[in-house]
Amino acid sequence: MSNLYEGMFLIDNDLVRAGWSDAKAVVTNVLTKHGGAVRSARRWDERALAFPVGGRRRGTYVISYVELPSDAMPSLTRDLEITEGIMRYMIVRTDAMPESEQELATAEQSADFAVPPPPADDAGSYSPLQSSDDSDDDTDSDDSDDSEDDE
Amino acid sequence: MISKDEVIDYKNLDVLVKCLNSQGQLLSRRRTGLDAQRQRVLKQAVKRARHMALLPFVG
Repeated sequence: MSNLYEGMFLIDNDLVRAGWSDAKAVVTNVLTKHGGAVRSARRWDERALAFPVGGRRRGTYVISYVELPSDAMPSLTRDLEITEGIMRYMIVRTDAMPESEQELATAEQSADFAVPPPPADDAGSYSPLQSSDDSDDDTDSDDSDDSEDDE
Repeated sequence: MISKDEVIDYKNLDVLVKCLNSQGQLLSRRRTGLDAQRQRVLKQAVKRARHMALLPFVG
């Protein structure tokens, strides 16, 4: 019995600089090694991380949809943990692949698709929360008032 | 805060960021305006995004 999984992988930018197809193959090879049928795999984004992972401040995300045997997960996760270049991974069950996913994956395989090279330096930080600071302040104090009342 | 047709997913960061306070904590249902089922989906999505370093654990 096999299930459809959505996998997201955080890849070291050094690997991406060496070549995108090789970097993607690192992920897909591990998946196929454990009996997976990769339906699609594509570059999701290159971005600054919310916190450093393995000393890196930036990374490239690969998103993949794969059919895996239901008993493959323990050996697959063990393999992913020791694979060089994969900094984080997450594999979750999904019912269906989004319709746009196949188009995006095939667009990446076309000859005129060029992967934007990652920035030369590893600098940068991502802080999405700063923009919402001001509007939250009033209601935050309101919340803390409530908890004080409870006590 | 989140409309009914917005998909709550760990990749949909624009939606998730709206449900966090300045410290990166998840807002309460009273503040997000979600029903219990969708708040639970939101909780799972934020945790997944944090694991993938898409959102901070602490802001």
